[in-house]
Amino acid sequence: MNTSPTIALFPEASFGAALNCVGIAQELRKQGATPVFICHPGFVGVFAEYGFAEFHLTAQPSQSTQTAEAHWEDFLNTHLPHFNLPPLAQLDTYVAPTWEAIVDTAIEVEDSLKDILAQIRPDAILLDNVIMFPAITQAGCPWVRVVSCAETELPDPAVPPYLSGLSATDAADCAAFQKAYHNAAQGAHKRYNAFRRKCGLPPLAPGIFLENSDDLNLLLAPSVVKYDRATPLDPDRFVYLEGCVRDESPFELPYFRRNSGPLVYTSFGSLGALDTELIQRLIDAYAEIDARFIVNVGGYLDSYGQVPDNVFLGDWFPQPSVVAHCDLFIHHGGNNSFCEALYHGVPSLVMPYCWDGHDNAQRAVDTIVGRRVDRAAWTPKTLRADIMALLDDRALADRLLQVSEQMQKTPGTRSAADAVMALLRHR
Amino acid sequence: MASTRRNSHQSHLHLAQQIAALILERGMKCGEHLPEQALSDACGVSRTPIRSALKLLESKGILEWRQEKGYFTALDTADRITAALQELENAEETLANRILLDRSERRLDEIQSVSALARRYSTARSTVLFALKVLSQEGIVTQLPGRAWAFQPMIDSPKSASESFEMRLTLEPLAISAPGFAVDPQKVGLLRSQMKDFLAVEETRTSATLFQRIDIDFHSLIAESSGNRFVRSALLTHHRLRQASKKGPTIPAFRMHQAMEEHMEILDSLDRKQYALAADQMTVHLRRSSIRRPEATNRGISPLRRGSRP
Repeated sequence: MNTSPTIALFPEASFGAALNCVGIAQELRKQGATPVFICHPGFVGVFAEYGFAEFHLTAQPSQSTQTAEAHWEDFLNTHLPHFNLPPLAQLDTYVAPTWEAIVDTAIEVEDSLKDILAQIRPDAILLDNVIMFPAITQAGCPWVRVVSCAETELPDPAVPPYLSGLSATDAADCAAFQKAYHNAAQGAHKRYNAFRRKCGLPPLAPGIFLENSDDLNLLLAPSVVKYDRATPLDPDRFVYLEGCVRDESPFELPYFRRNSGPLVYTSFGSLGALDTELIQRLIDAYAEIDARFIVNVGGYLDSYGQVPDNVFLGDWFPQPSVVAHCDLFIHHGGNNSFCEALYHGVPSLVMPYCWDGHDNAQRAVDTIVGRRVDRAAWTPKTLRADIMALLDDRALADRLLQVSEQMQKTPGTRSAADAVMALLRHR
Repeated sequence: MASTRRNSHQSHLHLAQQIAALILERGMKCGEHLPEQALSDACGVSRTPIRSALKLLESKGILEWRQEKGYFTALDTADRITAALQELENAEETLANRILLDRSERRLDEIQSVSALARRYSTARSTVLFALKVLSQEGIVTQLPGRAWAFQPMIDSPKSASESFEMRLTLEPLAISAPGFAVDPQKVGLLRSQMKDFLAVEETRTSATLFQRIDIDFHSLIAESSGNRFVRSALLTHHRLRQASKKGPTIPAFRMHQAMEEHMEILDSLDRKQYALAADQMTVHLRRSSIRRPEATNRGISPLRRGSRP
C-alpha cells in the first residue's frame, strides 16, 4: 500500500455531507493519508478552510439565464410553503422536483468528474451522496459509500421508507408511502437509468439512485437509533460509525445580558435559515423563556432587530463545539445535527421541514432521545412546554449521558478512517 | 487627568485579557503559578502594569494571591475562566462600548433616541449623550435632525462583509505602498511574539477571541503606519467598526493559523523594507480571507452566495 494514499472525498452539495466528510478527512490525515476534496460548483473554499486541497467540478453551461440569486428566490417562493406539508404531500411538491434536479447535476458534472479523477488518480474514493456518478465506478480504484443521511436511505422491510417520517410499526402507512414515493420519483428515476445505461452501468431498482459499494459502506447511525433490520447488513461491508463528529475550534460562550438558565442552541441548517419568518417567531417565543438561546441565522443576520437579552444570533457556529456546551438542541433533523446532539448527550427538539429530517424526527421520538414539533402547528405556549419538558427530564439526561459515553468511546471519524485504511491495506 | 486614568485602566484590562488568553491557550490547571517576569516577557511590558492586571484578575477570582509566592490560577475550567473574564470586561466597559456591543448583537435598532437609551441603561441622559459623542467621533453614529441618532451600517450581512473586503483590498495594500509608511518596531516585536504564541497552540485549543484581537491589532498597526493620512483615517475607523461587528468565531482553526502565518510573512517583508512585496502579500491575505462559505445549499441546486465574487 502507498504510505500516504490519496483519498478523494466527494460529498454532495450540502453542508451536512461536506462537514461530515471533513471529520473523516481530518482523521485520515492523522493516519497518514492525503485526503483531497472534489467539490460541486459553488463550494469554493469550504474545504480549504480546514486545510484540504480542493478540485472543482464544472457543470455544463446551463440553458437558464437566471442568476443563482434569482434561482434561489424562485426556490424559496416555491418551496417554503411545501416545507409545512406532511412527508406524503411533499413527494410531488418537493421530493420529485428535487430528484429531477439531482439527476440533472449527476449528468452535468460527469465529464468534469472524469477529468478530475484522471488528474487526482486517487487510491480510493469516498462518495457521500444520494446518487451514483458513473465516473466513480470507472476510476480504477475502490470506492466507499458514505450514508450520511438517516439509515432509512438503505431499504429493508423492517425499516420505514426513506423520507416518510413514519415508524416501522405503521405497516399500512409505510406501504402506501413506498408506493407513492416510487410513483413520484419515477420520472427522474427513468431518466437516471437511461443515463446509467449510456455510461455502461446497469439500471437500478425503482426508487434507488445509488447502489451499495462492493467494498465498504459507512453508516452514521449510532446504536441508540439503529433499526433492527429484517436482513442485517453484512458487517464485512457495512460499518456503523456511531456518528461522525468533526473537530472544530473551541466555542467561547457569548455574554447574555440575561445571563441565567440553561443553554439552548437552535440551527436549522443553511436551508432552514432562509425561513426568517419562522426564526423570528421562535426568537419572540424565546424572549419569554428563562433560558439562554444561541440561534444560527445563517447569512440573514440583518433581517433581525430588537434581539432579546437572552438570545444571541450568529451567522455561523463551530456547531459540534457549541452543542458540547448545550442543554438542548433545537434542529431540523439533519443527520449531522442529530448525531452531534447524541454524541454530546444533548436532547433534541426536532422541527423537520424536508427530506430525512422527517425520519430523524420520528426516530428521536421512537427511541426516546427527543421530541418532534410540527413547524406549522406550534404556539409559544406549546413550544415552551416542549422545551421545559426536555430540559427537566432527568431520566432522559441520564440515558443520553450513557449514549454519549458509548459514542465518544469509539468516535465515528476514527472508525471511518480505520475502515478505509484497512480496505486499502487488504488490496 | 481623568482621561489618562481611564486609558491606563483600559490598558490594564487589555493586559488582563492577554494573561487570561495565555492561561486558556496553555491549558493551565487550577493552582498553577504565574511568574510576573514570564508574563512581562510574553506581553512585552514591564512588571508594574502586569502586577495591576494580575490584581484585576484576582478581583474576579480568576487568580489567587499567595503571600510571598505570587499569583496562581484559581479556576479549573476554560468555561469558568471565560465567564469570569466576560464579567470583568462587562463591568469595566464604558457605556459607549455597551451601546456598540448591543448594536452589534442587534439588540438596538438603527435609530435611537437619547431618552430611550437612558431608560435602557438606567443612566442619566448626559451620560448617554457623552457616549454617543464618543461613538460619533469614531464615525459609528450620526446625529439626525431632531433628537434621534442613527448607527452607521455594521458588518453584519454577506453584502456588507463583501463590501468591507472590497474596500480593504483597495486601501490596505495602498496603506503600505504609499510613500512615508513607517511602522513602530516595538509594536511589531510585541505583535510578532503574540502571533508566535498563538501559533504554538494546537488547533483544537485555538481561541477565536484571541485571533480576532491580534487580527484587529495587526491590521490597525498597518493602518496607523501609513504615510497617507486619509487612508490611515479611513482604515482606522473601519477597523473600529470591524471590532464592534465581530461576533465570535466564524472560521475554522486551520484558517486562523494560516491567516496568522500570513500576518507574520507581511511583518517579515516590512522588516526588510520590501513594501511592494508586503502590499502584494496583503492583497493575497485579504483575497483568501474574503472567500466565504455558501449561504445556503440544497441538493440539485447551485449554492447561494450573495454579494461576492467566486
